[in-house]
Amino acid sequence: MAKDIKISIRNLYKIFGPTPDVALEYVRKGMGKADLLEQQRHVLGLRDINVDMHDGEITVIMGLSGSGKSTLIRHLNRLIDPTAGEIRVDGEDIMSYTEEQLRKLRRERMSMVFQKFALLPHKTVLENAGMAKDIRGYTTSDFEADARKWLARVGLEGNEYQYPHQLSGGMQQRVGIARALVSDAPIMLMDEAFSALDPLIRSDMQDLLLELQEELKKTIVFITHDLDEALKLADHLVILKDGEVVQQGDPQEILLNPGDPYIVDFISDINRARVLRVRSVMSPPDDGDSEFAGDISEKDNLESVLLKSEGDMSLNFRVVRDDQHVGTLHMKDLARALVPTAASADRSKTAA
Amino acid sequence: MATYDSLFSSLGLEQWCSEGKSSGPMSMADLLNKNKGESAEPASLWELPFPSMDALNESCAAFPQSRELTKGLEQGFLAIKDSLSLVLDPLTQPLSWFLDGALYAMLNTPWWIVIPLLLAVVYVVTKSWKLMLFVGGSIVLLAFIDHYDYAMQTLAIIFVCAFLCVLLGVPIGIAMARSNSLQRMIIPVLDMLQTLPPFVYLIPLIFLFSVTESKLYGIAIILYAIVPVIRLTNLGIRLVDKDVIEAADAFGMTPRQKLYKVQIPLALPNIMAGVNQTIMMSLAMVVIASLVSAPGLGVLVLRGIRNLELGVGLVSGLGIVILAVILDRVTKASLARINVSQKQ
Repeated sequence: MAKDIKISIRNLYKIFGPTPDVALEYVRKGMGKADLLEQQRHVLGLRDINVDMHDGEITVIMGLSGSGKSTLIRHLNRLIDPTAGEIRVDGEDIMSYTEEQLRKLRRERMSMVFQKFALLPHKTVLENAGMAKDIRGYTTSDFEADARKWLARVGLEGNEYQYPHQLSGGMQQRVGIARALVSDAPIMLMDEAFSALDPLIRSDMQDLLLELQEELKKTIVFITHDLDEALKLADHLVILKDGEVVQQGDPQEILLNPGDPYIVDFISDINRARVLRVRSVMSPPDDGDSEFAGDISEKDNLESVLLKSEGDMSLNFRVVRDDQHVGTLHMKDLARALVPTAASADRSKTAA
Repeated sequence: MATYDSLFSSLGLEQWCSEGKSSGPMSMADLLNKNKGESAEPASLWELPFPSMDALNESCAAFPQSRELTKGLEQGFLAIKDSLSLVLDPLTQPLSWFLDGALYAMLNTPWWIVIPLLLAVVYVVTKSWKLMLFVGGSIVLLAFIDHYDYAMQTLAIIFVCAFLCVLLGVPIGIAMARSNSLQRMIIPVLDMLQTLPPFVYLIPLIFLFSVTESKLYGIAIILYAIVPVIRLTNLGIRLVDKDVIEAADAFGMTPRQKLYKVQIPLALPNIMAGVNQTIMMSLAMVVIASLVSAPGLGVLVLRGIRNLELGVGLVSGLGIVILAVILDRVTKASLARINVSQKQ
């Protein structure tokens, strides 16, 4: 996929403390997070982050709490300024922006969805949805049609004149998403947007997001601490640990070839069958001599294939994309993919 | 000879002490001692006096007595008084106009206009018929026992002063919320205004302004009552949900938009609680301010105390209680209405 790079982060450092510049020198010389805190009384937020986020893709940044993921996303619209490094949006260095340019960026090119919804409690759902437009100086009548359309799209038709406190958490976050959509910004930053919701609603919201993304092709930066969520949503997955990127790339690739014991730990207790997709384990198309038990899509996950095969490991499936035969899935390969690799098992032992 | 003679002699200051010997007026204690023919020498360590200014003065005449401190303060104040009132007089003149105007309007409008008008205001801010009836009943009761004029004077003063407190206090509170250093500077001043006995700051005001001018008590009331509205505005804005502020920033609000669209609306319950407190404190002060010619029910209370007219004092005191209940209920009811529309 050779899509345009929408957001590019280069050599980004963030250090919290009274004299971050001094501490930065130590960090560049290789001082770790714990040492920095102990010897310099500075907290290492982010260390040498390099990430490219492509146009129209969902980039998921995953890490445990304290790994710096929320700090990182706040750099993209400069709610937090970096200690060192470069952030480019559409090729422009946003660090050189004036206050006015930065405001324009936040108003027109980026929108944000928050973990705790952050709706205005004294405004109706409709007014909240139109907040971005309201800030730009439009009146309610200007944005009402738009706001209604997106509210209906996220499933809140009929709630327009309610207040946020009258809605459940899931519905409030739908308002948060509608608010981001009404702004028409091409980039959507989602800071643990679904973490405060209960599992069923969270799954609904993930489906909603994927559905919207199918249609809108926005550049989405999604922060989460939940690997299942990350694997479900990500086109590009970035795994952060202690402010450093430990691995990034195609989520399927990371799952099959974890590059770090930390990630092995992470992926050890997920349902591989549900997360792995056919395209990651299929072989190139055969010459046509094998017998196919049926057609499957390359986007299907292995769980659905297992269901289809009813556990028969001798079957082969034909993988199709837009009616084109693009590969063959042997059930043997599928079974192999579900086994955690010996190497990773080893590592998880040493890590544990 | 006095206790601390040796201190001065050991420091070699005897010369300076005797030089500064002045025949200042004798204190009462000195006079008594002299008459009894006793020396000031303490009998034992048990009676050792604290080395205060007066005690040191006994040993060394050049050392100032403590009464010179109060005298110095007074003279200092009198010295700057003229230039101070030159600045403050025109600056505070509008306050006199407001107060006189409000008193004039309140007393010269016939009662059958004022009472319905007040009730209409009560209904608009509280949307409660019950409360409106209660207020109406209370005012009619006060009017029936011929306390209408006094009560209206008190109300007029409170309206003007509380309005000015809000007008000045809310912006000060907002400025404090935005700057930590300003907050550090203003909080001690607020603490002082709140703890200084109200009688105490009447004294310099009497020196500064003529007692016949209404701004004298106006300033006293405003200084005393402005504190809660400043404090609670500051607190309210600082307590606004950080996440909502972050969202406002992330969507590109200007600081002004943030103030008017987010901070003030979300701080409104706290600000209104401050307004309620300010009104109640104005009422408390308007009674005390009757000492410096503030008209209203306080004058009757004062008369009750001065002439020991028990009945007058009790009835006017009861009138003040009724006013307090009315003002409190009405402001609390409007506060509750704001709270309902703001529930998180």
